[in-house]
Amino acid sequence: MALIECRHLTRTYKRGAEAITPLQDLDLDIEAGAFVALMGPSGSGKTTLLNLLAGIDRPTAGTLSVAGSPVHTLARGELARWRSTHVGYIFQLYNLIPVLTAYENVELPLLLQPMSRSERHARVAAALEAVSISDRHAHYPRQLSGGQEQRVAIARAIVTEPSILLADEPTGDLDRATATSMMELLARLNAEQGRTIVMVTHDPRTTEWADTVLHLEKGKLVEQAVGGAA
Amino acid sequence: MRTLPFEYAVRNLGRSPARLTLSVGGSMLVVLLVLTAAGFTRGMEQAMRVSGSPDAIMLIGSGSEESIERSEIAMRTSGVVAASVPGLLSRAGMDAVSPEIHLALPLSTGRDDQGRLAVIRGIERAAWLVHDEAKVEYGRAPTAGRSELIAGRLAARSLGFEPPRSMIGTTFQLDGEPYEVVGIMSAGGGVIEGEFWTALTDLQITAQRDSLSTVTLRTDGADLVDLQSFAATRLDLELAAVAETDYYAQLAAFYRPVRLLVIVTAVLIALGGVAGGLNTMYAAFASRVREIGSLQTFGFSRGAIVWSLMQESILASSLGALLACGIGLAVLDQFVIRFSMGVFGISIDAGVLALGLAAGFGLGVIGAAVPVWRCLRKPIPEALRAGE
Ligand SMILES: Nc1ncnc2c1ncn2[C@@H]1O[C@H](COP(=O)(O)OP(=O)(O)OP(=O)(O)O)[C@@H](O)[C@H]1O
Ligand SMILES: [Mg+2]
Repeated sequence: MALIECRHLTRTYKRGAEAITPLQDLDLDIEAGAFVALMGPSGSGKTTLLNLLAGIDRPTAGTLSVAGSPVHTLARGELARWRSTHVGYIFQLYNLIPVLTAYENVELPLLLQPMSRSERHARVAAALEAVSISDRHAHYPRQLSGGQEQRVAIARAIVTEPSILLADEPTGDLDRATATSMMELLARLNAEQGRTIVMVTHDPRTTEWADTVLHLEKGKLVEQAVGGAA
Repeated sequence: MRTLPFEYAVRNLGRSPARLTLSVGGSMLVVLLVLTAAGFTRGMEQAMRVSGSPDAIMLIGSGSEESIERSEIAMRTSGVVAASVPGLLSRAGMDAVSPEIHLALPLSTGRDDQGRLAVIRGIERAAWLVHDEAKVEYGRAPTAGRSELIAGRLAARSLGFEPPRSMIGTTFQLDGEPYEVVGIMSAGGGVIEGEFWTALTDLQITAQRDSLSTVTLRTDGADLVDLQSFAATRLDLELAAVAETDYYAQLAAFYRPVRLLVIVTAVLIALGGVAGGLNTMYAAFASRVREIGSLQTFGFSRGAIVWSLMQESILASSLGALLACGIGLAVLDQFVIRFSMGVFGISIDAGVLALGLAAGFGLGVIGAAVPVWRCLRKPIPEALRAGE
């Protein structure tokens, strides 16, 4: 059984009388340990799919199972709890909490789990170490560069040791050099920690770090290419 | 429920000093208003509730039961009562029968001064026995024939004498006659504290009045019914007997509409404040929609987020409420309100403070509720797109 299983996954938005279906009858399996790049033109439904995988949106039809959980059946509260242990989400605009330090930002998702203070500290320290940002742990987001902010955001996403790491254009707001180091970091997390990663990207260069590239067009997968894994 | 750290709420307050100032200041003004209105009604209520003692009975001109100041009864009434009513309290050979004149007269400090209306009560020594809550606090009681006044502490303060005893030695013009203040009295917070007392005979001469306003007596066995039947048998005196506590209760009832008006006005203005607060909090939360979406993405429940935003709002409004309570105690508590039957002080007591704090807390809750709801109503994916 694959880590992520989508069957007939459909998402329709109703806007008044008209309905938009950015995701139609999608079947998709993603194995544990994969590094998937999700590409496609603007409006093709990439973010819609990612949000369904993240459990922050619910499918209109079809089923979605992640790590054995039937995500499409969970109620709002259950879904929130499920996300806190299974999903790490990396945003294009980092979304760090401005009033919290780097350390506190990374610590935040751990507050949702039963854990001693010392264990929490060890986990935060390890996550900051893994993204090479330990020396900035006491800085506030406004005192960090975009690349540093994204590193903190990645530390925050991996600190709970989630089943899947989801990223929506994680390098979209970064310059080329920083984007490259970010991709190297994700590839390393994939290779060394065995993190399963699904990443939406517009930049063809970033796909060279992924082992699978999916192309989405008008809500359907058009091609499933195996790229050169690192 | 796993909650967000308290520091998150606290630090969010510091995000926009202007907004913080606005919400703390707004809440302070609203609470100050609540304190003023509550302190006003409480002060008025208290002055009347602690006025009068249950075994004191007032004889008033029949038909003027509502207002001592309109009442006119014959001078000889006190003598007749002392002679014919059994069961009067008596101490050291003095019967507890107090003939009194109550007048509202302008007190002025000089010729050019228009003067301010004050309640003047002309009394004999028995008044101190009948109204035993009245005590000379500083100086001494007025002596008959020397045009002297003793001022209630509140009456002194209402004319700007702080502390009240600084009024001793001051001379006022009362209907063209100079009267000197020789003492300050207290009366447990009752209406007497808002009055000036002088010797009955002096006031009679100054005001050229040959009738009494009331004869108040203290009984020791006799009760209201006895006095009512006395009034009924002595129709020539045209008297009505009223228990002193009833008189003040009815007076308080007369002023209930005033209190209601004060409260309604306060509530209306406070609602305006709430509307302003809603706006401020909405602006504060709306700019954070994407952040709130992120928190939800990590798995924080809506409850946890509501609680944190509430904490933030309640912290701001409570801070304002505390400031208002400080100002209330320091400033408002000193205020003296004058009205037709005398004066009373705005009373900022524990109950009023509790009400003010509760109002501040409520303001925080209500001020946050609608904005929070509007921010959390958005589906998470939409919230995450906000501000892009
Ligand atoms: N909440 C919504 N309500 C209505 N329509 C929506 C909503 N969210 C997305 N859509 C529509 O669904 C379609 C797919 O959107 P989606 O965000 O998944 O595209 P995308 O592939 O991520 O595009 P981009 O590369 O520009 O980020 C678009 O046409 C969009 O307008
Ligand atoms: Mg997108």
